[in-house]
Amino acid sequence: MKQFVLASLFAGALAMPAMADYTIIAPANPGGGWDQTARTMQTVMQEEGISPSAQVQNVPGAGGTIGLAQFASQNKGNADALIVGGYVMVGAILTNNSPVSLKDVTPIARLTGEYEAIVVPAASPIQDMKGLVEALKADPGAVSWAGGSAGGTDHIAVGLIAKAAGVDPTKINYIAYSGGGEALAAILGNQVTAGVSSLGEFDAQIKAGTLRLLAVSSPERIEGVDAPTLKEAGLDVELQNWRMVAAAPGLSDEQKAKVTADVEKMVKSENWQKQLSDKGWADTYLSGADFDAQLEKDVTSTEAVLKDIGLVK
Amino acid sequence: MGAFDFLLQGLATAAEPMMLLYALIGVTLGTAVGVLPGIGPALTVALLLPVTYRLDAAGSLIMFAGIYYGGMYGGSTTSILLNTPGESASIITALEGNKMARKGRGGPALATAAIGSFIAGLIATLLLAFLAPSIVKVALVFGPREYFALMVLAFVTVSAAFGDSALRGLTSLFLGLALACVGIDQLTGQARLSFGVPELLDGIEVTTMAVAMFAVGEALFIAGQRNVQADEVTAVKGSIWMSRADWARSWKPWLRGTFLGFPIGAMPAGGAEIGTFLSYATEKKLTKHPEEFGEGAIEGVAGPEAANNASAAGTLVPLLTLGLPTSATAAIMLAGFQQFGLQPGPLLFATNPTLVWGLIASLLIANAMLLVLNLPMIGLWVKLLTVPKPWLYAGILLFATLGTIGANPSSFELGMLLAFGVLGYVMRLFGYPIAPIVVGLILGPMAEQQLRRALSISQGDWTTLVQSPIAAVLLGIAALALIVPLILRARGKGQVLSQLAGDED
Amino acid sequence: MTSPEPQNQRRRDTAALVVAAGLAVIAGVMLWDSARLADLGGYSGVGPASVPRVVAFGLLGLSLWTVIAALKGDFPERPAQNVPPVLWIIAGLAAQLLLLHVTGFSIATGVLFAFTARAFGKTNLAMTLPIGIVFAFAVWAVFSQLLMLHLPAGPLEHLLFPGA
Repeated sequence: MKQFVLASLFAGALAMPAMADYTIIAPANPGGGWDQTARTMQTVMQEEGISPSAQVQNVPGAGGTIGLAQFASQNKGNADALIVGGYVMVGAILTNNSPVSLKDVTPIARLTGEYEAIVVPAASPIQDMKGLVEALKADPGAVSWAGGSAGGTDHIAVGLIAKAAGVDPTKINYIAYSGGGEALAAILGNQVTAGVSSLGEFDAQIKAGTLRLLAVSSPERIEGVDAPTLKEAGLDVELQNWRMVAAAPGLSDEQKAKVTADVEKMVKSENWQKQLSDKGWADTYLSGADFDAQLEKDVTSTEAVLKDIGLVK
Repeated sequence: MGAFDFLLQGLATAAEPMMLLYALIGVTLGTAVGVLPGIGPALTVALLLPVTYRLDAAGSLIMFAGIYYGGMYGGSTTSILLNTPGESASIITALEGNKMARKGRGGPALATAAIGSFIAGLIATLLLAFLAPSIVKVALVFGPREYFALMVLAFVTVSAAFGDSALRGLTSLFLGLALACVGIDQLTGQARLSFGVPELLDGIEVTTMAVAMFAVGEALFIAGQRNVQADEVTAVKGSIWMSRADWARSWKPWLRGTFLGFPIGAMPAGGAEIGTFLSYATEKKLTKHPEEFGEGAIEGVAGPEAANNASAAGTLVPLLTLGLPTSATAAIMLAGFQQFGLQPGPLLFATNPTLVWGLIASLLIANAMLLVLNLPMIGLWVKLLTVPKPWLYAGILLFATLGTIGANPSSFELGMLLAFGVLGYVMRLFGYPIAPIVVGLILGPMAEQQLRRALSISQGDWTTLVQSPIAAVLLGIAALALIVPLILRARGKGQVLSQLAGDED
Repeated sequence: MTSPEPQNQRRRDTAALVVAAGLAVIAGVMLWDSARLADLGGYSGVGPASVPRVVAFGLLGLSLWTVIAALKGDFPERPAQNVPPVLWIIAGLAAQLLLLHVTGFSIATGVLFAFTARAFGKTNLAMTLPIGIVFAFAVWAVFSQLLMLHLPAGPLEHLLFPGA
C-alpha cells in the first residue's frame, strides 16, 4: 500500500516519455470549461497511453484570444501542440478585434457541447416562453437577463431571441456576470427577470424545482428534459456552446491525420466517455469537413448577431 | 440515520491510519506548493488534483481536502516571514505579521495564524455541515445593490491600512482603482486603457501585482538601503511559542474573524479578501493596544487569518448546496467532486449523504492535520530568517518569478512583475502604503460592476441602492464609520482615533 | 499621528512635485481614454467611461493636494539610497525576462539569482552563477517533472530530461 502511495506520487517523474508528447494549451485560467477540458484530455491521453506525459499549459486572457495568438505564432508546424477552444472564442475574436482567428490554426474536432437554457425563478409570474416574449415586447428594459460575460454565448443567445421575437436587439437589458455561478445566484435570488446559461449550470436547480425551465436552444427536444425548443416556441434560434481542440498551423496532411487519429482514439475510449458522463458533458464529437462547415456557419451567424447587439462595428 | 451519525461514521473512516497518511501527504503537498508566492489555492488544487485520481474514493477525497486546506494555509507563512503574500487573501496578514517577524516574534505570529486557521476551519466546517441549507438562503438575498453596499463598507475599512498619512493612503488607493479600470469592461465588452495591447485586455492580474509590490518592491527597497544596521531583522526574540498574553489577545480575534469570514465566503460574490479586510479593521477598532497596529499587533494576524480560513469553508456552502462555484478554486473543486461522483446541488445532502459527510469528515481531519504538521514546523520556518540576506532574497525572487511563470509563462507578465516591482520600490521610498493599491485593484472592479448591475436592473433609478433594508443598513454602517471619527475629532477626542485621522497637514 | 512635522517648513520637495505631475498625467490618460469609449451605459445610465472619469478626477484632486504638501515640505525624508544594488536586481529580473524563452528556466533564473546575491554583497559571480543555475534547475525538476507545472525548458533541461 505504501509503495502504491509512493508510486502514485512519483508516477509523473517516472513516466519519462519515450515518444513525443502533446502539450495542451488551455487559453483560460484554471477552473473554467476550457481548462477542465484540457485537463480531462491530459488525464485520458495519459491513461490510454496516447501521450504518457501530456502537459497542460494555461495561457489565460481575453476570451482565449491571447492563448490563440500565442499558439498560432509559436507552434507553426509543431504537430505536438494542441489548443482547446470553443464557441466563446468565435465571439471574442470579433469583439476584441483579434489579429489571429480560427483560420490561423488547424481545427481538429468538436469534442463536447452544451445547449443554452432559458429559465426564470420559480416564484416568477412568467410561466412559459410565450409569456417572456410578451413581457419583452411590452417593455424590453423591464426584462433583465442574467448570463455570462458580455459578447459571450449567453449574450448572443439573448440577442438572437430578441431578434427572432421582433424586438430591437440593442434594447435588451442584459446583465453580464463573470461566471455562470454568479449569474445563477442572481436568478435564484430573484434579482433578475430571466437567466440564460448552459443547461448543465441550471440542471440541478430545475430538478429541485427552484428554477422554471422555459426553453432550450437545441434543434430537437433533449431526452429527459421537459421543455420545448426555442423553435417550438416560435423563435427561430438554435445555438450550441461547443468546445473543440485545434492543432498548430502549417501541419502536413500526414501530421494532421495523425493528430486527428489520436484525438479520435481518445474520444472513442471508455475512459473519455466515463469522464464526459461524470461531468455531464454531451458527446458532440464532429471532425473533418463536417466540422469545418459547421465552424464556418457559426462564425458568419455570430458576426451578424454581434453587429445587431452593437458590440461589433 | 441522522446527520450526526453520518458525521461520526465519516470520521471513523477518515481516522484509519492509511487515511491519516493520505491526509498528511495532501496537507504537505498543498502547503509546499501553496507557500510559493503567486501560486494561490486555485492553481495548487489544479496542479495536484491528478495525484488524487490514483486513489480510491475515500482516499482521494481526504487527500484532496488536505491539499485544499494546505494550499489555503501556505500563503500566510511567506506573508508573515518574508512580507510576500502567496495570494490575495493573505495580503492583510503581511501588514502586522511581517512587522512581528522582524521583531523576533515570527514564532507567535505563525502560531496564531496556524491555530486561528485551525479554529476557524473547525467552526466553519461544522457550520457548513449543520447550517449550510439555511445559510445559503440568506446569502441569496444578496443582489447587486447589497453587494455594492458591502463593497462601500469594505472601502471605508481600507482606511485602517492607510498608515500615517491620509494623502498618501488615498493616492495609493486611487492608483489601485486606476489600474483596476484596465482591461475589458465586464458589462459591455469595451476595452479600457488597454491601448491596443492584447495582454492588457484581461486587466491586471491581482497575484502578479501583489507579488511584485510586496516581494520585488521589498527586495529592491532593502537592497537600496545604505544603512544596513537600520534594517536588521531579529530572527527570534523571546519564546517562539505564544505567551499567555498572546493567547489572551488572540482568541477573540480568532472567533470574530471566523464569524466575519464564513458568511462573506458563503456569499456567491463575497470573496475571501473582503472578510480579511473587515476583520483587520474590526480588530484595529477594538484592540486595547492601538499603538501596536502598524508595528506588529498580534490581533492583526489572528483575525484576518481566521477570516481567510473560515471563508474557505464558507465557499463550500454555495458549492455543495447549489452547485455554485463562486471562485476559481471552487470551480476546480467542483471538477474534483465530479471525479468522485459527487454532484453538488440542492439535493446533494439528501441523495448522497455518505459522500458529503465523508467530505466534511475529511475536511475536519485535514484541518487537524494542518495543525499537526505546521506547529512543529514553526521552529524551522523561523530559521528561514537567519539565512544570510544574499541567499534569502535571491531565493525569494526565484520563487516569486517561479509562481508568476508557472501561472502564465509570458514575457509580458514578467514585464509587469518588474514594472510593478519598481513602482512598489518607489512607493516605499516616498512612504506610500502598499496595501491600499492592491486593495483598490481588488475592490474597484467588484464595486463598479455591482453598482452598474444594480442600476441596470432598476433602469437607472439610484434610489434602488437604499430601497433594500440590508443595503441601507450596510451603507449606514459605512457612513457612521466615516463620520463618527470626524465628529469625535472635532470635539477634541481625536487622540483615541488618531490612526484614522492621520494627516494633519 | 497628529503632530505636524516642524522641521524646515519651507523646504520645497522637487521629487514630490514630480509625483504630483505623474498623478496628473495618469488622470489625463484616463480622461483621454474614456473620451473615446462608446457610451453603452444602456439602462443603468452608468457606462464604461463613467468610473474611469471619477477615478481620474480623484487623481487630479490628489495631485493638487500633493503639490500643496510638497510646497509646505510635508513629505517625509527619504532614506538615503544606494543605487547600484537596486540596479543589479532590476538587471537580474530583466535578464531573466529576456533569457527565459531562449535558455530555459534554469539558466535565466540562475542569472536572476546571482545578480540578486550580487546586490546583497555576494560579488563573486563565478561562484553564485553556478549555484543559482543548479538551484534553479533543481526547482525546475521538482515542479515541472513531479508536479507537472509548465515551466519553459531550454538546452540544459533538454540535456538532462530529454523528453521535456
